[in-house]
Amino acid sequence: MKRTAAVSALALLTAFGAFSAPAADTIVFGAAVSLTGKTAKEGEYTRDGYNFLVDKLNETGGITVGGKKYKVSVKYYDDESKSERTAQLIEKLINEDKVSFILGPYGSAPSGTAAPICEKYRIPMIEANGSAESIFSKGYRYTFAVLSPAKLYLKGVVDLVLSKDKNVRTVAVLGENEPFSKEVASGGADYAREKGLQVVYQELYPSGTQDVSALLTNIKAKNPDVILGAGHLQDSLLIVKQARDLGVSPKAMGFSVGPSSPEFRDNLKGSADYILGATQWTEALKYNGDDPWKTPKAYAEAFRAKNPKYRDIPYQVAESSAAALAFWRAIEKANSLDPVKVRDAIASLDMMTFYGQVKFDSRGINVYKPMAVEQLQPDGRKYTVFPPSVAEKDAIYPMVPWDKRK
Amino acid sequence: MSSGELGQIVVNAVLLSGILALVALGFSLVWGIMNIVNLAHGAFIVLGAYVTFFLHELLHIDPFLSIPVSMLVLFTLGWILQRGLVNQVIRAPLLATFLLTFGLELLIVNLINFFFKADLRSVTTGYSGAGLTLGPARIPYARLGALAVSMVLVAALAWFLKSTRTGRAIRATGMDIDAARLTGVKVAAVYASTFAIGAAMAGAAGSLLSMIVPFDPNLGGTYTQRAFAICVLGGLGNVANVVLGAAVYAFVDVFVGASWPSLSRAVTFAILVILLIFRPQGIAGKPA
Repeated sequence: MKRTAAVSALALLTAFGAFSAPAADTIVFGAAVSLTGKTAKEGEYTRDGYNFLVDKLNETGGITVGGKKYKVSVKYYDDESKSERTAQLIEKLINEDKVSFILGPYGSAPSGTAAPICEKYRIPMIEANGSAESIFSKGYRYTFAVLSPAKLYLKGVVDLVLSKDKNVRTVAVLGENEPFSKEVASGGADYAREKGLQVVYQELYPSGTQDVSALLTNIKAKNPDVILGAGHLQDSLLIVKQARDLGVSPKAMGFSVGPSSPEFRDNLKGSADYILGATQWTEALKYNGDDPWKTPKAYAEAFRAKNPKYRDIPYQVAESSAAALAFWRAIEKANSLDPVKVRDAIASLDMMTFYGQVKFDSRGINVYKPMAVEQLQPDGRKYTVFPPSVAEKDAIYPMVPWDKRK
Repeated sequence: MSSGELGQIVVNAVLLSGILALVALGFSLVWGIMNIVNLAHGAFIVLGAYVTFFLHELLHIDPFLSIPVSMLVLFTLGWILQRGLVNQVIRAPLLATFLLTFGLELLIVNLINFFFKADLRSVTTGYSGAGLTLGPARIPYARLGALAVSMVLVAALAWFLKSTRTGRAIRATGMDIDAARLTGVKVAAVYASTFAIGAAMAGAAGSLLSMIVPFDPNLGGTYTQRAFAICVLGGLGNVANVVLGAAVYAFVDVFVGASWPSLSRAVTFAILVILLIFRPQGIAGKPA
C-alpha cells in the first residue's frame, strides 16, 4: 500500500514536472546579471536591454528554425556584482536549467569568469558589457562581444581634444584597478602618447574606492591639460566631485563610463557641465540597420515608450539589445538550435543594426564599430559631439574653470 | 612631493580622519560595551544617508540640519532592533552575533535596494564644491563642516559616557556585567540605549557621507570594514582610542594613496596585520 502511494506520488510529481517545464516551442536564454551590488544599476540596464529585444522578438512571432516559430524567454539570476558568483550561476544555467544560449553578464570581470564555463560546455555566449581584451586573448571560441574593445574607449576623447586645440600637451590618466578599466586607462594613455601628448600622470586606484583626493592632489601639482578617467559611474562621480573640491581644473575631462548615465547629472548638477564621456552608442548616431527599428532614434523612442522611467538611454541598454539581436539572427542563420551550429553562425555574422555594425574578429570581439563621445552641456542636456560626421552639436572647449562657475 | 602638495595631503588626511572617527564611533561603542561586532553598522550609515537625501530632495532641508532627524530615526530603529533581535543573542557565542548582524545587514541593504532602487545618489547643495583656499591647500566647506560635526559628536559622546548617570551605567556594564547588575543597573535598558546610540552615530555619519561621496544601497560594506580596522588599530575602551585609530587609518590611507594609489588598501591592511601581531590590544588599548 505504502509503495503504491509512493509510486503514484512520484507519477504525480513527474506529471507536474513535465507541466512546469517551459513549453517545447520556447527557447530559453540564460543570463546572470548584477541586480544587486556595485554594478546593480548597469546590471538593470543590461537586463532591460535584453528584455526589450526579446519582447519585440516575441511580438514579431519569434525565431524561425526549420520553418517553425519559437518564442523566447530569458532565465535571469543575480550575480550580486561578484564575478565568482557569475561563474557558478552560468554553470547552474547550463546544467540545471539546461539553457543552450547565454546572454552575457554586466562587466568585464564577470564576462571573463563566465567565458571558460561556456567554453567547457560548448555553449555560445554573446555578451554586451565586457570589452576587456583579456577575455578575448585566451582563445575562447564560444564567447562573443558586440561592443568595441576597452582600449579604444578614450581614443575619441583624445581625438576630440586634439581637433579643438593644437596646443594641448599634457594628459593625466587615472583608472580603477580591474581588468576592463586597466585596459581603458592604458589604451587611452598609449593613444595619447602616439598622438604626441605627454602623459604626466598614470595611476590606478583600488576598486570601490571612496576617496581619490590623494590622486587628484598629485594631478593638481602636475597641472595637466586633460584628465582622463577610466572607472565606473561611482568613480567618475567621485573624481568630478573631488576635482571640484580640490580646485583641479583641466581644459577637458573625459571618462570611459559615467557621463552617459542620467544619474551623472542628477548627482553632480552643474558640476557635470562640459564633462566628456566615451560611449558605445547614442541615439543621435546615424546608422541604418536591418532590424525591427533600423535607426538609433527609432530604437530609442520605442524603448522609452515601453520603459518610461528612462529619459536618456544608456548605451548599455542598446548594446544588450544588440547582443540578443545577434542571437536571433544567428539562430535563424544556423537554422538549428544546436549550440555548436549556432556558435559557427555567430562567428560568421556580419550585420548592420541600429547599434552599428555587428561583426566579430577571430577572437570574438567587435572591432568594427567606432566609439563616440558625448558632452554634458550647460543647457542641461547631453549631446553627441564626436566624431564630426555624426555630431549633434559642437563640443564646448575648454571647460569653464571651477572657480569661474556659479 | 612639493610642500603645496604635502599641505593638501595633510588637509585631506585630517578631513578624512574626522569623518572616519564618527563612522567608527558607534561601532566601537557597541563592540566595547556589548561585545557585539555589528556587521550591520554600515547599513545603518546608509540609512542615515538616505534620510538626509530624501529630506534634502523632497523638503529642501539643508543636509547639516537633517542630522538630528537621521540620528533620531536611527536611534529608534537601533532601540527596536536591540530589544527585538539583538537581545536574543547577547550572551550567545560570538558566531551567533556575527550571523545575526550579518543577516540584518543583508536584510536592510536589500530592502533599501527594493524600495529606493540601486541608483547612485548624492546630496548636492549650493555650497557643494565651494571651499576655503589656505595657501596652496583647499578645504571644501562641506568637508570642513563634516569635520566639525564629527568633533562635536565625539566630544558629546565622551562627555555623556563620563558624566551622566546613564553613561556611567553603560561603561559599568561594559566592564563587568554582573557587578553592574548587582549595583542596580538595568542591563537590558543599558544595552538598548548603547545599541541605539551606536545606530544614531552611524546615522549622523551617513548624513555627512551623503554630501561627500556618491552612495547607493551597498555603500555600507566598506565603512563597516573601515570601522572594524579603526577599532582594531585604536583599541576598544574609550572614545579617544577611536579618534586615534581613525587618524592613523586616515593618514596611512591618504599618504600611501598619494604615492602608490593601487596599493593603498593593501598597505593599510598590511599595517593592520602587523600591528595585530605586535600589539593585539591596539595602539592605545589596554592589554586584555
